[in-house]
Formats: sequence, C-alpha cells, structure tokens
Amino acid sequence: MPANPSSGQTPRQTPGQTAEDAPGQAPDQGLDSRPDQTPDISVSSLSAGEMLRWVWRQLTSMRTALQLLLLLAVAAVPGSLFPQRRANPAVVTQYLKDNPDTGRWLDRLQMFDVFSSVWFSAIYLLLFTSLVGCVLPRTKAHLKALRSAPPRTPRRFARLPQHGTIVLNGDGAGTPGPDPATAVKDAAAILRKLRYRVDIRDADTATPSVGAERGFMKEAGNLLFHTALIGVLVSVAIGGMFGYRGQKLIVEGEGFTNALIGYDSFSPGTNFNPDTLTPFALTLNDFEVRFNRDEQATYGQPLDFTARMTVQESPDQPAEDRVLKVNAPIGIGGTNVYLVGNGYAPVVEVRDGEGNIAFSGPVPSQPTDTAYTSTIVIKAPDANPDQLGFVGFFLPTAVVNSEGLAFGSDPDPFNPRLNLNSYYGDLGLDDGTPRSVYQLDTTDLTQLNGRDLAAGGIVLEPGQTYELPDGRGSITFDSLKRFVALDITYDPGKIGALIFSTLALTGLILSLITARRRVWIKAGATPEGGTTLEYGLLARGEDPSLRNEATKLEQALSARWGITSRSDEQKKPLPSPDTPQHI
Amino acid sequence: MAPGSSRPRSRASTLVALLATATLLITGCSAQNNSLAEQANAGDNKNYIAGDGSVAEYAPGTRSEPVDVMGELYDGTTVDSSQWVGDVVVLNVWYAACAPCRVEAPMLQTLSSSFAPEGVRFYGINVRDEKSTAEAFERNFGITYPSFVDRDGKLLLSLTSYVPPQAVPTTLVLDRQGRVSARILGVADESTLKTLIADALAEDGPAAPPNPSTTAGTDDAS
Repeated sequence: MPANPSSGQTPRQTPGQTAEDAPGQAPDQGLDSRPDQTPDISVSSLSAGEMLRWVWRQLTSMRTALQLLLLLAVAAVPGSLFPQRRANPAVVTQYLKDNPDTGRWLDRLQMFDVFSSVWFSAIYLLLFTSLVGCVLPRTKAHLKALRSAPPRTPRRFARLPQHGTIVLNGDGAGTPGPDPATAVKDAAAILRKLRYRVDIRDADTATPSVGAERGFMKEAGNLLFHTALIGVLVSVAIGGMFGYRGQKLIVEGEGFTNALIGYDSFSPGTNFNPDTLTPFALTLNDFEVRFNRDEQATYGQPLDFTARMTVQESPDQPAEDRVLKVNAPIGIGGTNVYLVGNGYAPVVEVRDGEGNIAFSGPVPSQPTDTAYTSTIVIKAPDANPDQLGFVGFFLPTAVVNSEGLAFGSDPDPFNPRLNLNSYYGDLGLDDGTPRSVYQLDTTDLTQLNGRDLAAGGIVLEPGQTYELPDGRGSITFDSLKRFVALDITYDPGKIGALIFSTLALTGLILSLITARRRVWIKAGATPEGGTTLEYGLLARGEDPSLRNEATKLEQALSARWGITSRSDEQKKPLPSPDTPQHI
Repeated sequence: MAPGSSRPRSRASTLVALLATATLLITGCSAQNNSLAEQANAGDNKNYIAGDGSVAEYAPGTRSEPVDVMGELYDGTTVDSSQWVGDVVVLNVWYAACAPCRVEAPMLQTLSSSFAPEGVRFYGINVRDEKSTAEAFERNFGITYPSFVDRDGKLLLSLTSYVPPQAVPTTLVLDRQGRVSARILGVADESTLKTLIADALAEDGPAAPPNPSTTAGTDDAS
C-alpha cells in the first residue's frame, strides 16, 4: 500500500479541517469513504490486535465492498451455467447420471447449489459485514459534519479550482461601495438563496469572510443506498431462512391442501417450520388454453392459459372462485401460487390378469414440445398376479407419416392418441424405494408390447380398450383431462426486498444528482477605499459543472452590486486532472 | 480521524458477533428440515414428501383439542369424528403408488386386526387415488379397515388445525377423547405403533371409559 496516496492534498489542509473532511476524502475512488492513510507498517511487525484492526479496515473500505459486490455477481455465474437443485433437482440428478466424473467434482464444489454454497455465502456475509462496518462510522461522521460549521476560509483562494475577485467601487456617481462587513453579509444572503449552509466569520475584522457548503444530500443518499443494500441482503436472507417453495401438479377436478403431505416436491428455507404452512385448499375446476388459430406464422402457439380455481383460505372460511393465470399468481396470506406448467392427463383404466381394476384415474403426461407431444408412464402396482407398467407417449393431435410413425401436429386435442409399450413384473415400489413417477424402471420387468415385439405397440383412441397378450389384463383410454403445474412459494422477505431496493435506488439517484460544493467569499479593502470580494469554489472530485456554479455565483454577486470593475483574474479553465482538487 | 485504540477492538468484536449470529442462523435447522432439504435435492421425481420415521408422542396435558373432522369413505358412508368418542383411533395417510405406504400396509392390517377386540378404529386417508385404484390396493394387501377419499384434501385441511400430517405416509393416533396423542412421519415401525396405541388405550376416556381393563397385556413392545 502506498505510504500516503492522498498526500496531494495535505499542504492545503489546515488542521481544523481534518476531522470534518475525513468522510469525503479519496473521492476519485468513487464511493470510498475512508482516508487511505493507514501507515505503511510491514505486516510482520503487527501484533494480533493490530492485524485484526488492519483486516477490519480493509474489509470495511468501500473499495472492498464494491469488489465483493462484483465478486458476488461473478460467483452467481455458475448458477446459470449449471442446473440448480433449487430450480429443478431432477435435472441435476440427470446431469449427475450423464456426467458421473465431472458431475461428482462439480457437486463437491457445490456448483449445483450455487446460492447456498459455502463460497457464495462467504462472499455474501463478507459483503454484509463490510457494508455494516462502513455505513456505521460513515453515518456518524456525516451526522457530525451536519452539525459542524463549514470549513475554515482558506488563506489563498488562488489554489481553489474556481476563484475570482469582484471589486466594488461604488457606482461611480459618488455613492461609495459597501463596506466589507455589509458585503459579506449580503454575499451570505445570496449563498443562502443558492441553498448553501453559511457561516460568517471574522465579521469585526478588516477581512470578514463567509464559508458555505451544500450538497449534504449526496452523502445522505449514499448512506441511504448502502443502508438499503444491507436491508436487501437481510430481506433476502429472511426469505431464504423462513420461506419455502413447493411444487404440485393438479388435474382438473382435483384439489390441493397446503400441508407438506399435499406436495409433490418441496424445498424448505433453512429455518422453515413445517407447522407454519398457511392451511389453505385449492381445487382446479377447469383449465383453459387458447392457441392462436388466426395467424399463419404463429399458428398453434399458446395465447392464454386460464385456470379457474376454488380457493379456501383457511379451514373455517368459505370457499371462493379465483382465476389463476401465468404471471398473475393467486396470493393467499403471504403465500403465492403460480401457474408454471400444464399438460394433458389421459384418464386410463388398467385391469389385471384376474380381471380386477388395478388402476384407474388421470395420469399426468410430460409435454416435450409445442405440439404437446408428451411422455407418459402408467404404473399399476396393485395388478395381480403381476404388476403392470406402461410407458409411451401421448399425442393430442396424432398424424401418422408414410413410415407408420405417429407424431403430434397440434397442441389441441383434435385427434388424441395414446401410444404405449407394456411391461409386467416388479415395478420396484414394494420395498419402499422412492421411484420417479415419470420413469419406468424396467430392470425387473418383462416387455409385453412394443414396436419390435410380435404383439406390436398399443395405440388407443379415447374410449378404446386394448387386451394385453397372454391374458395379462387390459388398458382403456377413457377420457382426457388437463393438468396444471403449480409453484407455491412463500417468501417473507419479498416486500422488504422491494422496499429496500426502492430505497437503494432513491439513495443512489440522490447521491448522483446532488453536487457537493464549498464556497468561500472573503471581503477586503482596495487601496482606493473600495471593497474587494474574493470568492473561491471547491467541489468534491472532478466536477465540470463547478465552472457553471462559479459563473452563477459571480453573476448573482455582480447583479447585487451592479459591478463596475472586475479583476482580470477570471474563471480559470477546467483544472487539469493532476491539479489537486480535493475538498 | 486517526483510529482510536479502543474503536477497532469494538469493531472486531462486532464482526465476531455478526459472524457467530450468521452461523447460528444458517445452521440452526431441525432434523425434519434436513430430511426435507435432502428430499428436495434428491430430484427423484417420486412426487411425495416422505417422512423421516420420526415419532412424536404427546403427553395428555400437551395435546391439541379433540379432532373435529368429517369425511366420506370410499363406500360412500359419511364418517364424523364425533362417532369416535371413547375409542382410540388410528389414522393413516396413504395412496397406492406411494412406495413407503406399500411397505407398511401389511403391518397396519395386522395391528388393525389385533387391536379390533379393544375397539381401536383404523381409518386410511387416501389423498390421491380414485375408488378402483384404492380398492385394488386394499385387495392386494388384504386391507379390511376403511379409507376416507380425500383427493381434494378437505379432511387433511381440517386435520392441519390439530397436528399437521407432514409426510406420506403419516400415522396419527387419537386418544379416547379424540385428541392426537401420537404422530409418526414416514413408515411406521410395528412395535412403536403398537406401543403408541397401547398407551392411548391405557388412558381413561372422557367420561365413562368403556373398557378400562382390556388394555392390560397389550403393551408388550420391547
């Protein structure tokens, strides 16, 4: 670390300025709040306490905070490169199956749980600590600056980036110019009108002066921004701790109760308590999908999804009808129900080899393309003497090509077909092992039907029944229903995150549009008995508009006294970058 | 603003306190949550929330109000929990394609038969299946006790006010007053459930206990 990177300003700094200037130093480091004046001690000579202090100062510098913020953004990148368990655990499981070697290592590096990984959390917590450690002392310093008077009038105005002198010689018609004390008082009034905080000093001397300062909203906005950032982090953390997210698939006519038991899958927050689920109930009365039938280019593309639901917000409240649409969730208490997917659920009936119904009901299929070509797995674990399983696809509008292959041509059910292969044997459910409902594990199964087998595949229209070979049972395609996939989320931190991000934006805008400036005006006497007004302006950082401010001030002063003569030392050109210009 | 000697120390302790708090908040999760999180991360598309086998028995003083639920059985009979007063009731949440339900089904049937003389009532609560699918399951496992059809979840909704069933399967034991005396999340262990039922039987009923002496000797679970 350089011994004293801000040494450029020291010659001009009077001792009295130091304390109040501290929060505004090192402006070219953007938002840095701290004077980078740590003495250059070699690390080895630091005691444990000093070391800790040094680490703390590094951590709480705004530069570190910004780097951490950037790092957080970079660390989030793998979250979009690799499938995330939080978004869809099944995809991760498949990825691990497909890439066993790299997948294992990626999993060890928590690449599938980026946002809850150790390294992401570390950045997050460091950023949090850094912000807190930065905002607190800065707020204190700012409050102190608000209470204290504008800084001392500098001795030599020539060093200020914008300065000039106005000579008040009277109007030339015998009226003398104002005496220095009056001139300063009037100048102070003008500055006050320009929304400066002013302080008149040395009023009784020959060289009275006024110090003025404005733009405290810049630092206030800055502090608001950082405080609000902490608020956003806390809100997100609260959401992550006490929130939850679950998925449920409901077929038309079926319902869902918000208890763990009702979910297909469920991701709890780290401090989630399952006893606190809002006990509401939903029933899907019907689900309507409209596809585009008017335009050639977008023919068959979905236009609108409408799920009509009956909602009971709590066991003792009456049920009411609500409409659920994509991006228009149903809110129940703090819980939101989103419509995230849909598809067809053919209603089938499976009879076993003994002639009993082994399974009957709708079976949700998984759409794979825009024509709703869907994969389907039907399991009849209670079939006797052997369990029966079916795997295949469902086509809402089936068209058979010249090679005899069926494919889906339209998302609406104009010509629904169920194409299945059948199996008998052990479905693997009876030993309690969790099995995917969307996959048929054929390890312990024997195939009965299929394109390559003598019996051929099963093709069913609604109402048709197929008798399985060897009297092993039958399958009937009764009717067709639709289903919706729901995402049920509870995020108690959401409102907080919204409020704090709005505040952060407000603070950022405030700090960007507010210019922090200091003005000094010093009166003096000319040898001819007139009065001079010397003014100087200082901005924080490089501020091209300081020149305009100087012009404005000069015009205001000139207008007040109807200037007769000016000094030739007029507005300087914009300071070159190496000109020291710190406040 | 030279750093004072005392300030960094207080800052450092603030940092330590913050990190400690954060660690506590992050790691402070229960066993059931771990099981839930594991299931969430498994990505096996099994489509139910399994229990971790955890057993909760509630002492008489800590129990909820008597359960007040009503539902319809697969045979069309309406059953009201007010009919259960004086009897110990076992409720089991299940559906046919749920693998752990298939594991515990024979055990439940055994217990329902062995406790029948003591008037213990067994009911299934089926959360997903249509009648014929449920009947296939009952036929397959020889289940003789009836089950509620609860595909719309209404019965479950009213049960959540007492003790929420949090997994499939969940087994609840109601005491003679209809209060939940025990809950098993996940596959129930036979001897555990037997003990829980026996404990409930051993307690006195609301007014006049019907058969106070019959419970003796049933509490033989090791």
